[in-house]
Amino acid sequence: MDTKSLTNNTGILFFNSTVPAGFPSPAMDYMEERVDLNKEFIQHPLSTFIVQCEGLSMINAFIPPRARLIVDRSITAKNGDIVLAVLNGEFTVKYFKKNNYKCWLVPANSKFKEIQITEDMDMQIWGVVTHIITDTKDVKCML
Amino acid sequence: MGCGHSYYYRHKRRKMYALVDCNNFYVSCERLFNPKLEGRPVIVLSNNDGCAVSRSDEAKALGIEMATPAFMIKDLIEKNNVAVFSSNYTLYGDISDRVMKTLGSFVPRMEIYSIDEAFLDMHDLDYTDLLELGLKIRSTVKQNIGIPVCVGIAPTKTLAKMANRFAKKHRKSIGVHWAANDHLIKEMLCVTEVGDIWGIGRQYALFLKRNGFNTALDLIEAPEEWIRKNITVVGQRLFNELKGISAIPWEFAPPAKKNICTSKSFGKLLSSKEEILEAVCNYAAACALKLRNQNSCCRSVNVFLNTNPHRLQDKQYARSIIVDLETPTNFTGEIIKYATRGFNIIFKEGYRYMKCGVMALDIIPDNQVQYGMFDKCDRPKNKKIMAAMDRVNRSLGKEIVRLSVQGFEKRYRLKTEYLSSHYTTDINQVLKVKI
Repeated sequence: MDTKSLTNNTGILFFNSTVPAGFPSPAMDYMEERVDLNKEFIQHPLSTFIVQCEGLSMINAFIPPRARLIVDRSITAKNGDIVLAVLNGEFTVKYFKKNNYKCWLVPANSKFKEIQITEDMDMQIWGVVTHIITDTKDVKCML
Repeated sequence: MGCGHSYYYRHKRRKMYALVDCNNFYVSCERLFNPKLEGRPVIVLSNNDGCAVSRSDEAKALGIEMATPAFMIKDLIEKNNVAVFSSNYTLYGDISDRVMKTLGSFVPRMEIYSIDEAFLDMHDLDYTDLLELGLKIRSTVKQNIGIPVCVGIAPTKTLAKMANRFAKKHRKSIGVHWAANDHLIKEMLCVTEVGDIWGIGRQYALFLKRNGFNTALDLIEAPEEWIRKNITVVGQRLFNELKGISAIPWEFAPPAKKNICTSKSFGKLLSSKEEILEAVCNYAAACALKLRNQNSCCRSVNVFLNTNPHRLQDKQYARSIIVDLETPTNFTGEIIKYATRGFNIIFKEGYRYMKCGVMALDIIPDNQVQYGMFDKCDRPKNKKIMAAMDRVNRSLGKEIVRLSVQGFEKRYRLKTEYLSSHYTTDINQVLKVKI
């Protein structure tokens, strides 16, 4: 019903929403906020960026082509992290491996070679990959 | 007495301001998503690809001045392989927001001064060494967002601005300068030319130089007599600031804007009434949206248009008109209606127009609107329609729903030939990485 028509003559406002009568919902006291993926998967929104991959070098780390990665710049990369790195001006995603003397960018696919970082290379960690988002259409299996 | 104590306390702990400034901000945003640009001269052009408004250090070294029109340095660009970008305000706006919020996490109060600068209140912090805090701010912004910043810390805003400049020029490796005491302030004052002091324009700098003041230090040592004769109230304020007496107040939240303006130069000169009207309608719609976003309405609308005053070969025309609204509003349709009415009055055939704009004036909160006695508009219904339209546009993309007068082609639209992606605000434009 239209509220406007009801106010015309009497000046009294009727509400057209339903008024609950009888027993309140038993779930009322148990209501909580719905799960929010942003909150669950993005710890530091200000330093988090999303990138999209193309290529197979990280397939065994469950990063198929077209996967979207959540990258957090505020995290300092540790041995074994998946990182978005900049190697001689090009972006790449690899495992970051290091010991006290050396570090490497390691693919998750035996067809690709691991890269040892030497002095003549320019390598920077852009951010640490915290989550992988894959559309299941991109990993569909032809049965 | 208690107040006596707090008076002493306040004076013992000197006020301290920090000015944090992003280095070559637009260029730094482009480099963040395109690391190959590191070490290469880069410039970002103003709206409509007009002038260089942000330059990398390498571009500055080539002698490209601020606001140089792009067409004048075409050869220089080609010869030196300068990377050129149109301004990507969607990207810069988001990165700026990230930087500002990160800066805000360090201090209880801050004032966002521009898209790439903020004053932080460093007074009364637990830190005893503000230089250390400055370094921490700088390294955090660099790591978390990837934007290099410089920090200048001093007892007044003007000196903080100067300390920032000092850090850029003389403390390049650490990018932070704290003018903590009179000695350090003096060191800074004596290497700063009067023209480089915040708030001193070119004309005034010339005047000061003619009177024998070359550096900021010369200025604060000026004879009292001369100051009384030659300096205005504004000048006196600046003078105090230079002496370390804070005279420019904080401006924390100026958000609910008193005026909202949308105006841009056209991509090319336009003569057709229909094409310009389409632009007016779009700018009116943009103003209406801005009003709704801050829950305000406007009481009047200003429409203006002008030819290009630099084209001496063209006939010149510029006019502006204010149209009063019957009832304050923020509905797209109504704002467009009034803007169109104004436009029809001021538009004249036979000129080549460069620019038009719409300004919403006399802005009031939308809950203070008094409806007119003979107002025929169904306001509650319109409000619902606008809310629905805004929701659709927010979720499906800007201007998916719009009024038909806004047109579809945007023939007047700006040139943005070298625009980078909206890396952080559009899921389809995120950075693509070959792995």
